[in-house]
Order: sequence, then structure tokens, then C-alpha cells
Amino acid sequence: MPRPAFIAGAGITAATSPRKQTSSATELVQEAVWKALEHANASADSLDGLVIGNIDGFEGTVLGAKHLVRGLGLSPDLPVTVLNTGGTTGGNLMQVAARQVRAGDRERVLCIGGPTFYGAEDLQAAINTNSPMVVEQPLGMGAYHMGAFYPSAYQELYGTTVEDFAVSAVQDHAHAARNPLAHLRNELTIEDVVQSRPLSSPMTMAMVCPVSTSANALLITSEAGAVSTRPTPVLIRAMGTSSDPYLGGGKSDFAFMENLAILARRVYAQAGITDPRAQFDVVEVFSPYAPMQPMQLEALGFAAPGTGIELIRSGATRIDGEVPVNLSGGPLCTNAGVAGELAPCVYVALQLMGDAPPDIQVDGARLGLAHGTGGSFFQFENLAVLERHDRS
Amino acid sequence: MNLPVSSNPVTQRVHWDLNYDIHLGATWGRFMAGLRQKQILANRCPDCGRTFVPPQPYCEACFVPTGEWVELGQEGTVEAFTVAWQSFRGGPQPPYAIAAVRLDGADTLLMHYVQGLDLSDPNAVREQLPAGSRVRAIWSPERLGQILDIAHFEKI
Repeated sequence: MPRPAFIAGAGITAATSPRKQTSSATELVQEAVWKALEHANASADSLDGLVIGNIDGFEGTVLGAKHLVRGLGLSPDLPVTVLNTGGTTGGNLMQVAARQVRAGDRERVLCIGGPTFYGAEDLQAAINTNSPMVVEQPLGMGAYHMGAFYPSAYQELYGTTVEDFAVSAVQDHAHAARNPLAHLRNELTIEDVVQSRPLSSPMTMAMVCPVSTSANALLITSEAGAVSTRPTPVLIRAMGTSSDPYLGGGKSDFAFMENLAILARRVYAQAGITDPRAQFDVVEVFSPYAPMQPMQLEALGFAAPGTGIELIRSGATRIDGEVPVNLSGGPLCTNAGVAGELAPCVYVALQLMGDAPPDIQVDGARLGLAHGTGGSFFQFENLAVLERHDRS
Repeated sequence: MNLPVSSNPVTQRVHWDLNYDIHLGATWGRFMAGLRQKQILANRCPDCGRTFVPPQPYCEACFVPTGEWVELGQEGTVEAFTVAWQSFRGGPQPPYAIAAVRLDGADTLLMHYVQGLDLSDPNAVREQLPAGSRVRAIWSPERLGQILDIAHFEKI
């Protein structure tokens, strides 16, 4: 077993639409970095590494993150690792930083999630350029068209209705209404979700995430690196990533998230998770499209196949439920690209530290699950089991 | 300077307009040459025996080069689909249907358009392509060796 890595501080900015955002990407990222260092009570000169990401083409730049970090006023000697794994970049930032710490090479690595969906005039057109070239890119698919294949196959198998899928959108919005850092904070009814503009069947606009601007940052440390930090550290107990074939047509079954289920088995085995529903106190999954959430909860072992919507309807995933899910409102209510993908790790860490926004804080949360997914047809998955580590 | 803050410009437009020539390689080159001849060519993994379309130079599961080529039939079954009511800049004119088609004899799915459906009622599209719907490839009259040489699929 390598030495353990911990989360020792987190910073997150408020979120807005691009239209209302008057800060530059550099200014937003700077704010998140200051907040994380202040939360951790760590000085900038105590850092010995930075991990930052971007998604080429989404920002009108290539390797924009590399240039962005130089402007932050941190040490010019800091080694910088730039990640570019599409929509999974955010979750991978935390995992790469944690591996650098576990390897013994670094003590305090700051990972930075920038606002990647910042400027594209038509984000779906930018996302289409990330579609498998030559054989699938010419077929008129942006991200939500790809995302629609899953609920469509699920409907075919289980007879699920649009009203059923709306349940998870209603819950995410109810949660976001309590989170002052969320972008969309309006409550919705089933009727609102069903009646909103059809985008790609069976999904309506209310089932699809907004384009948000926000930034966040996480401080990842060794045990020694967390001795003088302020919040109760969070142990990264287990983590992993997994990939499906690149082509959408390489999926074996759109009605079940097999790649995520395989990853969950692997990560749960590392962490000693045998009964996820009983063991986890708080969960954040990356479901930018509402119908993904019940399917992810099934793949993660919180519900049997075909019963994810029932689980949400039962109230078990609300703040007072057995296993609260996406109390932040999730990416359905705030999605800023790389920052949106790092957000599940940020919110779960804050929950376990006891430092989440008061109206979404789960009392006494000790064990949490943070998930991310992205890439063409969501071929990449990442997962981390996080645990509160009380100081002795 | 006493300019009111509200008059500050907030954004500035940046534009990319770049063309790329993607090398198809031996495997996709052969697949595209087949499409010009109205043939849908697939290849097989010698270890697991799965049949790939579009073909792959190697098997992602077995980590071995693929070998045997086969010509598939031009019909298959729709496994999943979506109807796009909104497109994007440079995309097709909505509404349009995109499906994951299991061609007879293939182990992977081929993504493509399905035309000839009645898409007038957003609430009734599921009945247009019920489970097990059979479709057939319709060829473009002018074929250039590209995926759109199959113009679209149509229900049988």
C-alpha cells in the first residue's frame, strides 16, 4: 500500500451563466485558488505541485490551462501537470494529484478546475468536434444527443416514461435551491420538466445541464502535509478510472452503465465497500442529463437494474434520506466543464469535513462517493471513495 | 477615468476555421472503399471471434490484431435511437433520427440516421421505432468513400 493521500482544503466560486459573468477565466480561477488556500489555512509557497486541466477546442485555445496558471501569482518554480481527458478532466485532476502524493514525490498539490464551457458560442457544435471523427462525427450528434441514447434504450427495456425521468431533475433542482453556490436554483415540478422544450428524445431541455461559469480547487496532501491545515482531513480511501471503447457503437448495452458497474466493483473492493447503500453517507454523481442519475445509481449498486427512479422517488436520496445524492444540485444545475467535473469531489470533501453550505450539510457524514464521467458517449468513468479522517 | 463599469466590454469574439485531413489507415481505408461499392465490410477478432463494424485494426478487448474480413448484409435491428429536435451550428436540419443499428452478423453497433419516420409528434416517436425494428441501408447515389455513402437507414 502506498502512503495515503488526503484532501486538506477546498475552494469554490459562485456560479452564473456566461452572459452574467464579468470575470475572466484567470480571475475566476484565482478566486477559487485563494478560497482553497484560505480554507486549508495553507500558504501559496507551501505548495509543491499544481494539476490543472482544459478541454481543447472548448475554450478557443489549446493547452490554455498551461498559460492560465502562470498568471496566478503562485511560485514560477511549481511543477505543473496539465490534464486533457475531455469531460472527465475534473475528476482526473484529483486522482493525478493524489497519485503524485501517494508516490511520495509531492506533499501538497493544488488541483484547479477552471471554467471550460466559458465562451463557445454553440457548445454542442464544439462537442461535436470531439465526436469520433470520420465514422460518427458526421451523424449530427452533440453531447446531449449522445446522452439521449441511454434513456431511450432504458425506456425500451423498462417502459419508463418521460414523467419518470423527470423525477431526478425535480430532485436535483430542489437540492440546488438549498445550495447558494449552484447556478440554477429554481424549483421545478414534473410538469415543468415534461413540458419544457424537447431537445433529443426522450430528453427535454429541463433534463439537460446549463452552461455555467465557476471555478474550484482542491488541496491534496500527504499525511504530513495535512498536519497544520485547518479542516478535518479527508482520506482518499480508494479511486479508479475506467474506459469503454471510443466509438459509441462499441457499447454493448445502452440500457445499463456496464463500464461504471465494472469500475465500482474494482473501487469498492479496494475500499471494503460491500453494501454501498448502508455504508455511504453522501454521494455526488455526474449526471448532467437527468435520466443518467437513476442509471448511475443502479450501476453503483444503490438500486437494482430498473429501480433507480423508484429509489429517488422513495426519498432515500434526499438530504434526510438513507443515502443523500447530489445535494449540491449536481451538474444538472451547475456545469462549468472541468470545474463541473471536479465539483463532485469538492462537494463530497466539504460534506465530510463538515464545511458544506449549511443548508445542504449532512450531519455526521463520514464516508462519501464522488463520481465523474465524460468523453464521447461518456466512455470514461472515474470514482473515488472519500472518508473523514478525524485528527487523533 | 470615470467610465461607468457597465460600459466595459465583457467578451470578445474569437473564431477558428480550420480544415484537417484525417488519415484513415489500412482498416478504415478498406471499409470506406467497400462503401463506395455498396458493401459493408467488417472484420473479426481471431481470439474472441467478435465481428466489428466499423472495422478495427485490433481488438480492444483481446489486444491482438484483427484478421479475417467479412461482408455483412445491409439489414439490421435498431437497438437504441434518439430523435434530435435541436441541432447545432453546422449540424443537420432537425428533426432527425439517429440510431444504433445492430447489423446482422455484427457484434458492435453502427450509428446512423434513420429516415422515413413520421416525426410530426414529439410524444409519439417511440411508436415509430418500436423494439426490434428492422432497418435497411439506403445508398447515396454519389459515393465518395465516407460514412455518408450510406445516406441513411430506412425501416423495412
